[in-house]
Amino acid sequence: MLDHYRREFTNKNIQFIFVDQKGVVQESDDEVFSVQTGSSIFELHPFFESLEGIFESPENEVDFYCVHLPLKENVFTVDLKIAKKEGGLLLIIYDLTKHYNTYQSVTQVRNESVIKTELTVIKNQELEERERFKNRFIQNFSHELRNPLTSIMAITNILEETKLDTEQSQMLQFLKASNANLKQLLEDILSISMIDTGKLDLVQKMFDLKQFFDLLEFTYKAKAKEKGLNFNADWDEKLPKFVEGDRLRIFQVVTNLLDNAIKYTETGTITFSLKLNQKRANRVSLRFQIKDSGIGIANENLEVIFESFNQLGAIGNTSSGSGLGLAIASGLLNLMESEIKVNSTVGQGSEFYFDLHLKFQLLTSPDAKKSSPKSHKKQELKKTEGPKSKLLLVEDDLQVQTTLFKILLGTGRFHIDVVYDGALVLQEVVSSNYDIIVMDVNLPNLSGDQITKLIREFPFNNVKTIPIIGITADGYQENIDKCRKAGMNKVLIKPFEKEDFLNSIYKILRNSKR
Amino acid sequence: MLKSKKIVVLGHFGVGKTSLIRRFVTDTFSDNYKVTIGVHITKKVVEISAKETISLILWDLEGTDDIETIRKAYLLGTHGVVFVFDITRPSTFQHLKSDLKIVSEKIPNTPLMVVGNKTDLVDAKELQITLDENEITVDFLTSAKTGFAVDDLFTKLANQLAKDA
Ligand SMILES: Nc1nc2c(ncn2[C@@H]2O[C@H](COP(=O)(O)OP(=O)(O)OP(=O)(O)O)[C@@H](O)[C@H]2O)c(=O)[nH]1
Ligand SMILES: [Mg+2]
Repeated sequence: MLDHYRREFTNKNIQFIFVDQKGVVQESDDEVFSVQTGSSIFELHPFFESLEGIFESPENEVDFYCVHLPLKENVFTVDLKIAKKEGGLLLIIYDLTKHYNTYQSVTQVRNESVIKTELTVIKNQELEERERFKNRFIQNFSHELRNPLTSIMAITNILEETKLDTEQSQMLQFLKASNANLKQLLEDILSISMIDTGKLDLVQKMFDLKQFFDLLEFTYKAKAKEKGLNFNADWDEKLPKFVEGDRLRIFQVVTNLLDNAIKYTETGTITFSLKLNQKRANRVSLRFQIKDSGIGIANENLEVIFESFNQLGAIGNTSSGSGLGLAIASGLLNLMESEIKVNSTVGQGSEFYFDLHLKFQLLTSPDAKKSSPKSHKKQELKKTEGPKSKLLLVEDDLQVQTTLFKILLGTGRFHIDVVYDGALVLQEVVSSNYDIIVMDVNLPNLSGDQITKLIREFPFNNVKTIPIIGITADGYQENIDKCRKAGMNKVLIKPFEKEDFLNSIYKILRNSKR
Repeated sequence: MLKSKKIVVLGHFGVGKTSLIRRFVTDTFSDNYKVTIGVHITKKVVEISAKETISLILWDLEGTDDIETIRKAYLLGTHGVVFVFDITRPSTFQHLKSDLKIVSEKIPNTPLMVVGNKTDLVDAKELQITLDENEITVDFLTSAKTGFAVDDLFTKLANQLAKDA
């Protein structure tokens, strides 16, 4: 009887077992594992106890997928078809252990990354909430302190106008200095907390760079002189006169660094220099540098000096200032997409520097815009194109990969990442926000349509809706249908024209509102 | 003959279904996460009284965030259901009500235990707030890691099933 059923199947990994109504094995071909004729199938594995339920169910055939059967030495992962036949049940068992092992690895990667992402998001939310609370508290607190401080300062000033003896005048001067310190401290704390909460917006405007430099030179020459220090100011003649940026904030950064330099230097020279790194089109890169011959900073302190509050009392013991200057400077530069660098030797001095990339105006030739139509046109083009799209290319064939990569890169419209493995695709899509995926259908281990299916099943909307274009050499409708059904937005048949390839991508990107 | 009862354990992935069963059957636990695919079936004999024992056939199903997609065959002949969520991951209990509704439609008239797992990871007060905020009522709060309430859960279900038949 079994031969009759077997003729329909050729695969070796299929076993046929026939059991009677009591679950006693009547016949088995033992293709996958061996079963004793006459034994009870229920004893083989608890799974088979469910067969009793099938006798009672109205269905004539029931399919089970991916059932794990640990039997003696081996664990089999099988699909089963159980069919009611006269006198008992026919069990058809497909050994798909290998296939399911692959599926397990992929699901493992997917689940782990989904859970990891989820827990990270939760953790970040908690941290942000705590940070927000802290900053709200600081901001309220600082504001509350301002009012009484203003009264104290006003009364101190009135007091100064009254008749005071020498001792009283001296005490009043201390009082005034302390007031000024307290005021600076409050302002610094407020700045830091505004930077941290992103409440501080930059105001980009054209300003006179030379004038800005001269003012700093004038102010700090005087301050340095007061302390008996030399002050050098170094202006690069190649610098443009006008640049576009947030003058006030740049000023705040530089003055913080210059104040520090003076504060921590007892003898020698402070040097402030402003140099041109490079000019390109209408952009300049500037290097600001503040050098002192002061006490210097020990290596182990170099990292903490930029942190809020951490450096209070960490360097030197000068009592003035909040010690927040560097944290503010580094926070502001962060907003300007720059960062402070520092070189320092204990006992010899420190050098702080940073670069700013700013727009500038070519005042020397007022017709600048007209005289460089090229750069103008380029700008126009960019505007209509919008920002670059993030594209993930999944292709294991190196030659095809290179060709497609070149085509895509040539357009200048994509940030491209390339992977060649199914499991990596899943990792990539959760960690980066892709606008589109271009994927070979015929990948080793896990095919493009399977990956697509897994992506479409993701619990995150931004992942599950990523447009996917499949590439295949197999133009049979059956194959195309399989890919479309899996969730691909488009399937391109190799070979295709470069234009068709790009146009398909552009069209899908236009239509997807991601 | 020994009465045997089929229990399916359902829930989103990674909530601790496999760990709960493992704790109950072999009294062990592992921090490693090995994703279950398809179904793993184990058996444990439970003493109901001095005179009565029943055998529980535990079906540990692949986790899914879409309960609707669970294959019907797996649920055939089910006597009891355990629905597990992870109290540290809102995505596993956000749609608890609709998830449970789907379960009771797919497996009607069957005893169901709703279980919040991983109690060892949060403090009791926080947990109560989470449950209240989400209007969740559970039958058991468990920890597969410490073993807290795991035996209680399965024993209670076993008792209920022993009475039913
Ligand atoms: N701290 C803690 N971790 C737990 C607990 N239960 C399970 N885990 C961990 O959570 C992870 C997932 O546990 P599993 O039991 O594999 O989860 P599952 O529901 O079977 O997952 P799927 O098979 O993918 O559906 C593992 O790393 C476990 O160690 C618990 O009570 N406390
Ligand atoms: Mg599991």
